[in-house]
Amino acid sequence: MTTIALIGNPNTGKTTLFNSLTDKYAYVGNWTGVTVEKKQGNLKGTDIVIIDLPGVYSLDPLTKDEAVVTNYLMHNKPNMILNVTNASQLKRNLLLTIEILELGYPVILVLNMIDDLRRSGYEYDLKLLEESLGCKVTTTNARGHQGIDKVREKALQYKSIPSTQLGLEYPAIIQQAIRQASTALSKDFGYPAHVARWLTIQYMGKNKVIRETAKKEKLTPLLNQEKYYDAQKFADKIFETRLQFIEKTLTNARQPLSGSNPVEVTSRIDKVVTNPILGLPIFVLIFFIMFKLSFDWVGTPLSDMLDQFISGPVSSTTNQLLIKLGAIPALRSLIINGIIAGVGGVLAFIPQIFMLFACISLLEDSGYMARAALVTDRIMQVIGLNGKSFIPLIIGFGCNVTGIMAARTVEQPKERLITTLIMPFMSCSARLPIYSLFVAAFFPHHQALIVLSIYFLGIVVALGMAKFYQVIFHVKESSVFVVELPHYHLPRLDIIWQGTWDKGKGFIKKAGTIIFAGTVLIWVLSSFGTSGFVTNSANSFAADLGRILVPVFKPIGLVQWQAISALFTGILAKEVITSSMMVMFHTSSKAFLIASLGQFMSPLTAYALLIFILLYAPCFATLATIKQETGSTKWMLYAVISSLIIAYCIAFIVFQIGQFFWG
Amino acid sequence: MARQNYILHSFDCLNVSTATRLHDMGLCEGCPIKVVQRYPFHGPVIIENDHQRIGLRYQVFMSITGAADK
Repeated sequence: MTTIALIGNPNTGKTTLFNSLTDKYAYVGNWTGVTVEKKQGNLKGTDIVIIDLPGVYSLDPLTKDEAVVTNYLMHNKPNMILNVTNASQLKRNLLLTIEILELGYPVILVLNMIDDLRRSGYEYDLKLLEESLGCKVTTTNARGHQGIDKVREKALQYKSIPSTQLGLEYPAIIQQAIRQASTALSKDFGYPAHVARWLTIQYMGKNKVIRETAKKEKLTPLLNQEKYYDAQKFADKIFETRLQFIEKTLTNARQPLSGSNPVEVTSRIDKVVTNPILGLPIFVLIFFIMFKLSFDWVGTPLSDMLDQFISGPVSSTTNQLLIKLGAIPALRSLIINGIIAGVGGVLAFIPQIFMLFACISLLEDSGYMARAALVTDRIMQVIGLNGKSFIPLIIGFGCNVTGIMAARTVEQPKERLITTLIMPFMSCSARLPIYSLFVAAFFPHHQALIVLSIYFLGIVVALGMAKFYQVIFHVKESSVFVVELPHYHLPRLDIIWQGTWDKGKGFIKKAGTIIFAGTVLIWVLSSFGTSGFVTNSANSFAADLGRILVPVFKPIGLVQWQAISALFTGILAKEVITSSMMVMFHTSSKAFLIASLGQFMSPLTAYALLIFILLYAPCFATLATIKQETGSTKWMLYAVISSLIIAYCIAFIVFQIGQFFWG
Repeated sequence: MARQNYILHSFDCLNVSTATRLHDMGLCEGCPIKVVQRYPFHGPVIIENDHQRIGLRYQVFMSITGAADK
């Protein structure tokens, strides 16, 4: 199998190029961390596999995502490497190129975003670059689909591209040390000469992955010299030599362009968007519009239409069809009250979720996300997180699942874990129906204030827990917050659509399967009792379970089994709590439920229940995402248990103190 | 008005990860940079170098420009 690896810095248009070269489309974004795992596709019309690796600044990784590239190069032998660079920032990009060239694979250097470079008034002599670097060089404008064919042609000729190993003139003392160590590595450990040389240079450069590998493999020629290498500051000298070589190469190859008129669009936009005074209000305005689009102007009307369609024609037609076919009542109940009501209820949220994803993709593709991280960093610093965590948390107000997925962009693993763990406390939109029901029933004159207090409480708990985790996980202040602010791009519709679809399809598939299974389970619990299939839910297992747990919930004011049983359905999906309450209270009308709820509990109990609903166990889809993103069932279980404890404690405190004043 | 152009002074006070990341971005001791934006309350600073814009924390900026010593 022929393999070509795509390697490059973040924000170089690597994934856009990958999408143009391959049959399969992968997700594209315009800020660091979009590609968090390698993706692969076939070069159009061939069986050559192209692997898109995460964007890295160097082969010495700072995060797990970045380690993917170094590990890939250590354990795989690609037939060729396509090194994608941002032509306008070649000085920085070539630092990675040198590391790749030293490895000795056939390399094609792609100067992407060449249009940006030409606009700034110069270009490079490609022949001179090829001579200096010893590899093929080509130019592209991947967003404008220019130069893609040339890259494809060159990729097809991978066999004729020679493997050249760049030999930089490091100081004599380093050259000698490289010779000694690499000779020993080849002789005693059987490494090919070019790999041994690369390993030695990387080891001298303090590459963490290579140093760990050397320890594991007991590469004594390197281990024995470690102190000497570090004492002589080889890493700094290697970096300086590389930088000098790059500066010399670029100065020689640089050619001014006549008639160019550099227009600094990015500077002009940044003057407003990242303004010290206007930056934060603009950020708030952009996210306000995003939420309005998703949950008010576009998403919700579409969701309502879909909901009406599913609960109306789809449900009644299926019911009639099942009656005609002579289906037994239990099966009919399973399909109508279980699957269509449960799965359909979640599917109705797709327009809102897709709208939110489209807005996020637009912000990513335009280059705004990095700016948003910057303007919020100071606030996040107070609780031990950095600006990169703020965006996922805001997204969490829409849906915790997407919020957790967005946390992939946080570089530090501990900060990413904290962001993931506090996410369920951000009150997602699925919790709104139950809030609106309760405030209408118990607090008709202070509805907005009560809902706002619940949201605010969620934020306070999230921030408090973040601070707690900061102490527990020993997250020091030495967090890395170096954000590259990419050039702004005019968003492209196809990239936004692909981003939206790639994010959304996972939600439909994964959440769909989990919710389907959960729906069937809840239906079984509320439709069967000790006497078999029951039509009255008061005789069901759900009712039994609710009654058993009454003593547990009594300290927070809950003594009705209906409300307790309804809480269980909320683990399936928070929006199901409302419909479950209707089933448990034997009513099909929201107005009737609002009127009758008042007889069942006091406003204080209702408020304690709202707090419990805000904070208790995350829904199935969120739990599945926590498991997927942390790669551990342990953290998923921890999320359930910790949130249950927190929810219970706070609801208890509020109820008990409230009783003292209003009891 | 604050000075807008700086020469990077020293990376010695930075943690290893931040220093590595700055090196990776082509920034080193002796590099000229331009301050594009500063945020109030010791918020982040946006610097420009070689056609790239980078956002840094205030403490990092102060430390690499030597401003903290003055």
